[in-house]
Amino acid sequence: MTEKKAFHLLQVLEPRRDAYGFALRPQHVQRYREYSNIYKEEEEERSDKWRVFLEQQSESGNLPSLEEEKKEKQPTEVSEQKSNTSPKSVGEGDDTSVEPTTDSSAEGNFEKEVESTKELKARKVQKWANIRPVLGAIENMMSFRVKKIKKMEDERQTLRDGQLPPVEETGPSGGTSEDDNEEEIIVDKVSNGSGKSSTEEVISTKEAPPKSFFSWKEELECLVRGGLPKDLRGELWQAFVGVRTRRMERYYQDLLALEGDSGGGELVDEPSGASKKWRKQIEKDIPRTFPGHPALDEHGRNSLRRLLLAYARHNPSVGYCQAMNFFAGLLLLLMPEENAFWTLVGIIEEYFEGYFTEEMIESQVDQLVFEELMRERFPKLVNHLDYLGVQVAWISGPWFLSIFINMIPWESVLRVWDVILFEGNRVMLFRTALALMELYGPAIVTTKDAGDAITLLQSLAGSTFDSSQLVLTACMGFLAVTEARLQELQEKHRPAVLEVIEERTRKGRVFKDSKGLASKLYSFKHDPEPLIEEKLHKAESEDTPVDADRSHSSNLEEFLAGDDSEVDSVPDLQEQVVWLKVELCTLLEEKRSAVLRAEELETALMELVKQDNRLQLSARVEQLEREVAELRQALADKREQEAQMIQVLMRVEQEQKLTEDARISAEHDLAAQKYAVHVLQEKYEKAMASLGQMEKRVVMAESMLEATLQYESGQNKALSSPRAAVARNQGSSQETPPKRLSILSRPFGLGWRDRNKGKPDEPGSGHSSPLPKETSGQEPEH
Amino acid sequence: MGCSSSLPDRNSGRLSGLNSENSGATDAKNLRVKLVLLGDSGVGKSCIVLRFVRGQFDPTSKVTIGASFLSQTIALQDSTTVKFEIWDTAGQERYAALAPLYYRGASVAVVVYDITSPESFQKAQYWVKELQKHGSPDMVMALVGNKADLLENREVSDQDGMEYAEKNRMFFIETSAKTADNINQLFEEIAKRLPRPASS
Repeated sequence: MTEKKAFHLLQVLEPRRDAYGFALRPQHVQRYREYSNIYKEEEEERSDKWRVFLEQQSESGNLPSLEEEKKEKQPTEVSEQKSNTSPKSVGEGDDTSVEPTTDSSAEGNFEKEVESTKELKARKVQKWANIRPVLGAIENMMSFRVKKIKKMEDERQTLRDGQLPPVEETGPSGGTSEDDNEEEIIVDKVSNGSGKSSTEEVISTKEAPPKSFFSWKEELECLVRGGLPKDLRGELWQAFVGVRTRRMERYYQDLLALEGDSGGGELVDEPSGASKKWRKQIEKDIPRTFPGHPALDEHGRNSLRRLLLAYARHNPSVGYCQAMNFFAGLLLLLMPEENAFWTLVGIIEEYFEGYFTEEMIESQVDQLVFEELMRERFPKLVNHLDYLGVQVAWISGPWFLSIFINMIPWESVLRVWDVILFEGNRVMLFRTALALMELYGPAIVTTKDAGDAITLLQSLAGSTFDSSQLVLTACMGFLAVTEARLQELQEKHRPAVLEVIEERTRKGRVFKDSKGLASKLYSFKHDPEPLIEEKLHKAESEDTPVDADRSHSSNLEEFLAGDDSEVDSVPDLQEQVVWLKVELCTLLEEKRSAVLRAEELETALMELVKQDNRLQLSARVEQLEREVAELRQALADKREQEAQMIQVLMRVEQEQKLTEDARISAEHDLAAQKYAVHVLQEKYEKAMASLGQMEKRVVMAESMLEATLQYESGQNKALSSPRAAVARNQGSSQETPPKRLSILSRPFGLGWRDRNKGKPDEPGSGHSSPLPKETSGQEPEH
Repeated sequence: MGCSSSLPDRNSGRLSGLNSENSGATDAKNLRVKLVLLGDSGVGKSCIVLRFVRGQFDPTSKVTIGASFLSQTIALQDSTTVKFEIWDTAGQERYAALAPLYYRGASVAVVVYDITSPESFQKAQYWVKELQKHGSPDMVMALVGNKADLLENREVSDQDGMEYAEKNRMFFIETSAKTADNINQLFEEIAKRLPRPASS
């Protein structure tokens, strides 16, 4: 109780923990926050429902007191472990009046053994609380419920020769001698138990009100699937598991007392080696159980240690198995220490019988069963996983072994546990795993490699915060997965698991063969305890090589012990029988190992053949590689040539370019020249034109000159006759010579002269003389 | 086949082992490798993985139930990448019954012991033998002495570890998940030792 308070307080301060005080992964904090309100609402709703339900139950009246007495069969089952022959009723918290007496008688043995220390320890431990104080109604209803579970259990148990899982499991595989031995021990108890339970069943069928019972059960089932209210969970779990009926007064304290004595050793039931091993392992694991959880302070850890050690002592066939630390830790958070112990007893020995034993047979069987169910339900997903090389058991194994603790969020874990503990079997375990696969299968199918698939599934499962969806999917989606179906599948797959285990064991034994006999002989003489121990504890499993060996020896010892107490007449024969048996065993072992070796050789041969193939293949590959290399070389050559060609081409092209350039420049020159020519031509034409004009002018001038000359000569004639004409002619002839000179001084004087070439008199002799000549010559013309 | 009827489990495991060997190396440059960690309880298997994958060290880590999975990719100097698919198994002796499930088809096994615990060294030798008997024959094996930071409590000399590893053709290294000493080296060395698919 104090723990609870403490961690409630701490939880407020520490945001990275959920409502139960468990650490949240950083990536989940956000989602948890989103869901925490939903959780709160759900919680309120369900506590209302439960209250109503419980009120109704209490109104409808308590169940007959006879029901209470039916619990008496329980003790048989539990007490078998203590090898107490007399079945005593477990009164513990119960109010039935008969109990005290039976209790004391039943536990007499133990009390004698540890009387003195026990008192102290008991006071120190004192961690037992009855469920009752909470609500009378719950109590009654639960005790009724417990009886129902218990009854079924008993029926099962009669089939099973008591509460010894290993016996049944090793039966098919194990040696024959052990079995016989076991049966001898159990026989009387079996008869006891079966007789009892059958009579009780008769009573219960008479007594139980069938109608109300079924409606009641259905209603309860519905409520359980909806989840248990937090404040009732611990007690309801205990009720489901049947803690009150399991409990034996002082048994737990006695176990603890033994623990305290373990130094002395004489009361230590299990071989001290094993107990040391467990103690060591438990020590290692305690700080690694919900590390940092507020309730697991030093006080809480001590509780956990006591609980686990007590359990190991209580059931040596299981001892301590990793995962139990988590179960125990969880239970301690919900209930007092001793209650947790008995709940753990129920879970490990009934719900998960054979799961956490040395060979873990049932857990292996369950994996095969689960895989088959997966193939049935999700062929596509399994095909994909096969394709990726992922085995379903890689992932589901840890789920099953941890009952989902640390695998899915806590709210979901608790909801699943609610149903598992209520139903009393592993059906919900399978259904939940299937539901997770159904929820996340579609995502897994999209993955491309094994690592991604596993990582994705792990992280998706880890974020299954919608606990209601999970539980609903599990319960409603896989109705075909029933206990009967599971049992059928388990029967089907168990032989394969046993075979493998047996084979390993054989190998181990062959290995140890040389010292086998000697050690057996040795254990004969030096180890008187095992027999007693076996009687006390109804023998541990023989599934391990060590255990098997031990039970061998104890088998012999039993004979010896029997001889000791009786007569010495038979021992020789018996011993011979035993020796022969041992001999036979070793021969069988040798045969098996020979067969195995043959098989190994066969596989080795196969591998050799395969390797041969590989050689051929690799040769071929090499050849091909060479060819490829050659082709590549050729390709490279070709490329080189190509490159050269390209270079040549480039050069040619360059030259071409150069010539082209030259041509272009030449063309340019040409054009320039043409232009120049053109310009010259133009100039020439202009010049010619101007020359033409000049000539015209000259012609005009000449004609003018001629005209002038004619005029002059005309004047002269006129003057020669009339005087005036002469005077005037004189004057003008004086003027004319300068004019002529001016014309001649011009550059084109030549032309003028040329034109006048044809005229005979004009050039040469001076002006004065020709002119007169001309005039003289012209005179006749006129 | 005679053996398939008597050992259905084993046989199918071998098949899937071959499978994953084939698919294990997707190509010459990107390897995919299944690695399994084995060793006594509490020697620090989970811590080694956590240090390698997340670079963290949590002195109060949880007990591993069954096995847990993590993956991490590293790049080597020759520009190949190696993706490690790491199965970290439970250490308690009885969980050895489940170990074949995880080491079957694995191409690397890392066997871990605690240098302060001779018992864990014994246990490591048990695992080596087990792997030699039941593991795939071309498995790369490494022997790792963890908690090398606790030198003053050393009870297994590195000489012993090295000799044993040599005898069994294993790669040997001492690491400390706490100080991260040699953790990356461990995985890099493993990566170097992996058989490379013939580059074609």
